[in-house]
Amino acid sequence: MTDPVDPVLLEIVSAALVSVAEEMSVTVWRTSRSTTVRELLDYSTAVFDAQGRNVAQAARMPVHLNSMEICLQHIAAHHIPLDDWAMGDVIVTNDPYCGGQHLPDFIAFKPVFRDGVRIAITCVLIHHVDVGGGAAGGYSPRAVEIFQEGLRLPPVRIVRAGKMQDDLFATILQNVREPDTFRGDFLSQIAALEVGARAVRRLADRYGAQALARIGAALLDHAEHGMRAALSALPDGTYRAEDHVDGDGIEEGAKRIAVAITISGSDIALDFTGTADQAKGPINATLATTTSAAYYAVIAACGVTGTVNAGCYRPISVTAPEGCLVNAAFPAPVSMRMLPGHKIATCVLRAFAQVMPDRIPASYYGTTFNHAVNIRHADGRRQVYFDSELGGWGAHPDADGPNALAAGFHNGQNTPVEMIEALFPIRFTAYGLLPDSGGAGRTRGGLGLVREWEFLAESGLLNSAFDAFTSRPYGLDGGQPGRGGRLSVTRDGATTPLPAKTNGHPLQAGDIVRMETPGGGGHGDPALREPQAQADDLLDGYVRGG
Amino acid sequence: MPRGKLTFGGIRNVKDPIALSSPHIRIAVDIGGTFTDLELRDGATGAAHSLKSQTTPDDPARGLCDAIAQARDTFGFANADIDLILHGTTIATNAVLTRDLPEGALITTAGFEDVLEIGRHARSDIYALRGPDRTLLIPRRRRFGAPGRIGAAGQEVRPLDMAALDVVIDRVADSGAAACAICLLNAFVNPDHEIAIRDRLLARCPGMAVSCSHDVSPEIREFERTATTVLNALLVPVIARYVTALRRRLADEGITAPVYLIQSNGGAISLDMAVRAPVKLLLSGPSGGVLAAERLAAALNAPNVVGVDMGGTSYDVAVVADGARTVVTQGEIDGLPVRVPMVEMHTIGAGGGSIAFVDVSGRLQVGPRSAGAVPGPVCYGRGGTEPTVTDVNLILGRLDAATFLGGRFALDLDGARNALQERIATPLNLDPDHAAAGILAVVNARLAASIKFALFARGLDPRDFALMSFGGAGGLHAIEVAQELGITRVIFPRDPSTFSAHGILQSDIQHDLSRTAILPLCAESLPALRQMAEDLRARGADLLKADGLPAGAQGTSLSADLRYRGQAFELMTPVPHGPLTAETLTDLRARFEELHRQRFSFDDPQELVELVTLRLTATGGLDAPDAPPPPVATAGQAPSRRRVHVNGAWQEVPVLRQDSLTPGTPVPGPAVIEQPYTTMLISTGWTLTATESGDLIARQEPAP
Repeated sequence: MTDPVDPVLLEIVSAALVSVAEEMSVTVWRTSRSTTVRELLDYSTAVFDAQGRNVAQAARMPVHLNSMEICLQHIAAHHIPLDDWAMGDVIVTNDPYCGGQHLPDFIAFKPVFRDGVRIAITCVLIHHVDVGGGAAGGYSPRAVEIFQEGLRLPPVRIVRAGKMQDDLFATILQNVREPDTFRGDFLSQIAALEVGARAVRRLADRYGAQALARIGAALLDHAEHGMRAALSALPDGTYRAEDHVDGDGIEEGAKRIAVAITISGSDIALDFTGTADQAKGPINATLATTTSAAYYAVIAACGVTGTVNAGCYRPISVTAPEGCLVNAAFPAPVSMRMLPGHKIATCVLRAFAQVMPDRIPASYYGTTFNHAVNIRHADGRRQVYFDSELGGWGAHPDADGPNALAAGFHNGQNTPVEMIEALFPIRFTAYGLLPDSGGAGRTRGGLGLVREWEFLAESGLLNSAFDAFTSRPYGLDGGQPGRGGRLSVTRDGATTPLPAKTNGHPLQAGDIVRMETPGGGGHGDPALREPQAQADDLLDGYVRGG
Repeated sequence: MPRGKLTFGGIRNVKDPIALSSPHIRIAVDIGGTFTDLELRDGATGAAHSLKSQTTPDDPARGLCDAIAQARDTFGFANADIDLILHGTTIATNAVLTRDLPEGALITTAGFEDVLEIGRHARSDIYALRGPDRTLLIPRRRRFGAPGRIGAAGQEVRPLDMAALDVVIDRVADSGAAACAICLLNAFVNPDHEIAIRDRLLARCPGMAVSCSHDVSPEIREFERTATTVLNALLVPVIARYVTALRRRLADEGITAPVYLIQSNGGAISLDMAVRAPVKLLLSGPSGGVLAAERLAAALNAPNVVGVDMGGTSYDVAVVADGARTVVTQGEIDGLPVRVPMVEMHTIGAGGGSIAFVDVSGRLQVGPRSAGAVPGPVCYGRGGTEPTVTDVNLILGRLDAATFLGGRFALDLDGARNALQERIATPLNLDPDHAAAGILAVVNARLAASIKFALFARGLDPRDFALMSFGGAGGLHAIEVAQELGITRVIFPRDPSTFSAHGILQSDIQHDLSRTAILPLCAESLPALRQMAEDLRARGADLLKADGLPAGAQGTSLSADLRYRGQAFELMTPVPHGPLTAETLTDLRARFEELHRQRFSFDDPQELVELVTLRLTATGGLDAPDAPPPPVATAGQAPSRRRVHVNGAWQEVPVLRQDSLTPGTPVPGPAVIEQPYTTMLISTGWTLTATESGDLIARQEPAP
């Protein structure tokens, strides 16, 4: 522990630091251009201390927040040492092989100086609309190396001593599909870094830079203390689990993710040895993604309710063999890193279920159902309809899993059917809960969804980056797995099943596209389910009899 | 301004015996959880009176009538003298929060019965492993799909199959539901199917409370519209029961004056309309305070004001910008969206009852957990054991045990001190004064942060605002919070205890109507826009006519929810008055882009702007009495002194009664100002002055 800090000052400054991250977050929301940022809220902001340790986060996306520090430390260790970060610099990268996750995510850092001394670093991560490469938006399903996924920027000073490096910026803009939107979002990112820097300097003016540093250190210590207290309460030992992702759409066969978690005192080590080799297609995760997913799962399992910061990471170590699915080696493609990301989280939680069976739920739907249609109207006009869907939560030992709600490693919002119909040549025939999709158990898994619509334009191409068709959400303690996902197209009364990774399936007017998302796994022996709960399930049609 | 039969004001001569016998007493009643506040204005003399009585939760109408009877006896008027009763109520809110609602059914487009349950997906606690308990107002077994389909352009894609519909209606009838919501896809464009289903259902079940989405909230986005319609349907029996009881009680008392309820938008609505659209009452309670803040801001020539209401458990922040309360098109109750226009309000769980504690990781936390009314703060001596913000204010001498709440009950200072020592000071190894001051510093930082975000999200700067504090617990925190934000002016209304009732007294009738159609903002859309505006105006005029208002007292204004093409959210933009022409659209676009720049720091002159929803606000002036408030009576008492912990140290501080302040005479801080309902703390460096109207304004002195 560092020197004791006044507990009142600790609270006030802690809240003020989170408030700095929130101010940056609001600035991004207010000043950015793209729908990705503004509506899907695909960005995150955080504040680091002078050594690059994350002290405060704006509550946003666990997937981002828990990987920013890895990126920063990687840059400092291998590219630009922290002592070379000068006043007025902004350092940015999107390289998954430099602590990033996939190319659309640009992570920007700005050192904050006061009286010539670095006192903090602000960070803004934004998922940008496009990065060039083989497909709009950066998700090229046929990519077999990262070069096909778009522009890869090593850590560079895009702003040097307060001066935008126009040549470099122009080079980036030249390589993306929507340069105006990209430019707007990028400038918003840089503006938010400065908003955060100013707010940190105000805090330093008020409380003193040294006090700020001591408080930052104390915040990390407190968070670490909370995690260690939770981990110490668990029995020492090694606990193993595995889970799977479906194939990559290029080669058949599910890919195994294996973890061994070793709890020893208040430390925890996660070792992913035994995981499948990296895939040919873009369903790989870099170690940054894997670590971020593992951090999410351990923090959630430990029941941390207060501040999440880098102190939470201290008891955790993550290793994986180089060249496996969860520690992909350059130049493996990684654009669909959310697919393994979800399953890394569910895999770690499954191992925890052996240690704290009364706290850990069965698996949630376990993937992000991104899909898109490239639409061509009769008059030649083109439109792209992009959407995302999810499924049911796993059953908790004490309660049924919620139906159709964001879970786990990501978070997000759906688009109203009426808004889609108003803007696209698509008419829904059903959007509802899928009976019998939740895994049976003493407590039942939450239901997945059915989403079915008629295509109304002349022609179109359907793309999907789905998972969990064959690798179903697991049940626990005798509970059944949730039902897997499905995708099909019906034309003239004939239904054709489509694979999870569908790449450019042609659509014509009158085609009915139907997607079914997985329900969560069940918990406990189904025979032990309360009769009243069984009767209610039948009455409400969550479960159909017979 | 022409006056109608409901009006009363300065035009009547007080010496005219006819005028004296005509109704001239206007009454506002705000029924809260504990107290029923009444304020009245005598239009003949300009006199204002207020009183507080107990709320009667078993039958709120009784409490209301009791309050009126008490006012009648105290202030000397007859029932026949009452010209109007305006009434704010939390009945709808409480019914939802306590789930005291009837069983309901829902009819949707077949295939979309689960929209109500699916919601919008996003969760708030990102690390929780046990799912949130979700609000399901109507279980799946009572949600039914109707065969038929309206398309996005309003076209009938599939007709209603009446035989199949009758099967659905049989199931609704047999389900035991007392209320039924009907919400079909795209009904906001074409309500025909909803109307047909409603008529068929009412023919079969004449007594059922039926609400249709095109009627309650005719706007795009099916989940929000469904949730709003369901809440409305379930509240109809609740509000109908209340209105019946209220009418009976008033009739028994011989009171024949018209009664209006206050809606979430701050406007009044007739009882008949309220029974049809009870969902519009969900924010009735707090909107009175915002109305009053808006009026007082205007009277004090302070166009930018943050109104804060700090009570026992919550801190409500509302914004008056450029002289007008800010309104949003959607609010939330208990996790469910309510898609009707309402006063914008940001609430955090922080108040006098907020509990201070040391958490498992050894950190000091204040709130959001509250001691509530029971057991309440430790010093109330009703069994509370954890120190609260109120306890700390007492310990630091900011509250006086002898005068708290008019000295009505004794406070246990020693109990509060012991709790602080045991629960906070000892575990954190702090001396008690430091611990107490620390708790206040932590809670003040939270209050300041909530204000900062209410403004920041709109692109506004706190330093351009004055802070107006009107909750019972707020007076001790307002100046320290202002200082935290760089705000240099703090306003304390003359009578904060009935401030909300005071605002209600000023209310006018207001109907908010809307129509959704996604249209590009260009000349080609003008015919459609004109038609929509005409429809809205006609419906607004009908509603005001039904309210019995003369044409002269009526006014309408249009606004448009606009966005750049492709955006998924809209900005409500006022439409210029006058006929809709190409110039109107140019002007409207310019206004939208100015709002967009303010809120999002950029505009995009190249991009297409589209309309999503056109809104009409129809107002009927109730012509609130505008006589100046009576002069302040000064008691001329000499200040007493007591030891107060302020600006980090114990000091002998003058303590003044509010009614001893002479208008225009500055009182330098540090000072404590007391009145029966609240206590105000003026920090060092601030000066407080009472205005002629009796309101108090504190200003920070510029640094030397």
